[in-house]
Amino acid sequence: MTALLPIEFADLEGFADWALPTTRQRNHKRLTSSMDQIQPFYDAMLTRIDAILAYLDGFNLQEMPADAQRLMWMALSLAEVSDAIELFHEPGVTGGCDPSRFVVIQEPNP
Amino acid sequence: MKTVMADRRWIGQHRDLGTEPVSTETCTSADFFELERERIFRRLWINMGREDQIPEPGDYVVKDFTMANASVLLVRGKDMKVRAFHNICVHRGNRLVGDEKGTCKNLFVCRFHSWAFSPEGDLKWVSDESNFYDLDKNQLGLRPIATSIWQGFIFINLSPNPAETLLQYLDGVTQQTAGYPFNELSVVFRYRVDERSNWKVVLDAQNEVYHLPFLHIAYPDFCPLNERGFSRIQDFRRFGRHTVYSVEANGTHQATKVEQVTARIVPYAEKPGTIAWFDFYTIFPNMCILFLGNTCMTYNIWPIEVDRSVWEVTIYQPKAATASERFVQEYWACRLRDLLQEDASNHEAIQASLKSGALTHFQLQDEEIQIRHFHKMIREQVAQIV
Repeated sequence: MTALLPIEFADLEGFADWALPTTRQRNHKRLTSSMDQIQPFYDAMLTRIDAILAYLDGFNLQEMPADAQRLMWMALSLAEVSDAIELFHEPGVTGGCDPSRFVVIQEPNP
Repeated sequence: MKTVMADRRWIGQHRDLGTEPVSTETCTSADFFELERERIFRRLWINMGREDQIPEPGDYVVKDFTMANASVLLVRGKDMKVRAFHNICVHRGNRLVGDEKGTCKNLFVCRFHSWAFSPEGDLKWVSDESNFYDLDKNQLGLRPIATSIWQGFIFINLSPNPAETLLQYLDGVTQQTAGYPFNELSVVFRYRVDERSNWKVVLDAQNEVYHLPFLHIAYPDFCPLNERGFSRIQDFRRFGRHTVYSVEANGTHQATKVEQVTARIVPYAEKPGTIAWFDFYTIFPNMCILFLGNTCMTYNIWPIEVDRSVWEVTIYQPKAATASERFVQEYWACRLRDLLQEDASNHEAIQASLKSGALTHFQLQDEEIQIRHFHKMIREQVAQIV
C-alpha cells in the first residue's frame, strides 16, 4: 500500500484520517470523536510536532507534495484538538454555544 | 453608603457617565429598534468591509445591510476608486447584482430589461432607449452612497449629506492607531454567527474583561488579576463616540503544551497593540477592533430584528510564509473561536431574560465602564431630533 505520509513520519500513518483539508472538517472530526480517539492522536502528534514543522518548513506552502500536504493537515488537526485535551477535557467547548452557529465563511487556503 | 466617584479608578475620570444602573429596554423594544435604524444605522459611518476584498478593477461585493433596509454594492472602478451604490436598477427597482461577490468585466446588466451600468455607476445602455420619453442617462446612474476608507476599512454613510467626514467621525482613534501596520493585515478566518439576541447584548458581552476569570475555560488567565483574583483593565480612553480599553499581557500566564510549541515560533507577546498587549476598541455603533498580540480581529455586529443579529468575526494576521507560521495561525484561530463560543453561550439566555420584563436595568461596575459609555452613546444618538 502506498504510504500516505512522508517516510520519516511512517509512525503516524495510523492517524492519517486526521489529514483533513478544511477547518470545517477538522472541527467536525474533533466534535464527533471521543476522547479515547483524540488523546492518542494528540499524544503522537505532540511528540513529533517540532520535527513535523521543521520538515514541512522545507516546502513552499502553496506547492507541497501530497504526502507532505497530508502531514500539514494533520498538524492543523493537532491545533484544532489541543483545546479539547488541554483545556476542556472533552471534545467540545464546555458550556459553549451550539458550534454549528459558528459558520466558517473564510479560511486560509491551503 | 453612597459611592464617592472620585474614589473609583474610571468613573472618577469620567463623571459625566454617571453610576446609575442602565436601562435594558433598549435591547427589547421594537420601537427603540426602529429609532436605532433611522438615527444610527442610516445616519452614521458604518464599516462594510475592507479594500483588499475588492483589489482589482471591476471587483465587487454585495452587502445585505438589513438594518438600513439597503443592499449595498461595493465596487472598485476601472479608475481604481472604491464606490458604494444602492444595488438597484434605476429603471423599475430590480436588484441589480444577484451574487455576493465577483468581478464585473465590463458592465453590470440587469436581468429584467438589460439596462447596463459601468463599475463607476454610469448608466451605459438602455434597451429600446428611443421608446422612452426624454430619457437623460446622465441623471440615471446607480444611486451613490457616501464612501470613505480608513486604513483599508471601507465605511459607508447613508445620509445624503453626512454631517462629518469619516476621519472627523473616527476622532482620536485615527491618531491612537496610526502606528499599527494595517497594510500587513491579511484575513485568515472569517466566521458568521447567527445570534438570537439584540445586537447590543452581543456587543456588551465582549465589552469588558470582568468576566474573563469566571467564564473562560479557554483562557482563564488571559489578563492580569489583582490580589483578589479580579481582572483590571490598564487603561480606558474616549475618542468622541468611540472608546478603547486595554489590558497588559499576563506575566504569569501558563501556556499549554501546544501553545508552548507556537510560542517557540511566534513569541507570546511579540507585537504590542496600539496601547497595551490587548486593546479593544468599540467603534460606534457596531464595530469592534481588537489588537491581541500579533493578531487583529474585527467584529461587525449586524442588527436584523430586535432579538436577532449576525455577529461577523474576522481574524487578521500577516500571511503565513511557512508551515510553522500556518500552524500558529490555525492554533490561535481555533483557540479564539472556542473562546467566542463560550461567550456566545450567554447571549440567547440573556435576551430571553430581558424579554421576560423581569430585569429593567443592568448593574455595571467600574471596570464595565466601556459598556456604560456605549449605552450612553446609543441613547444620545437616538434622542437627537433632526
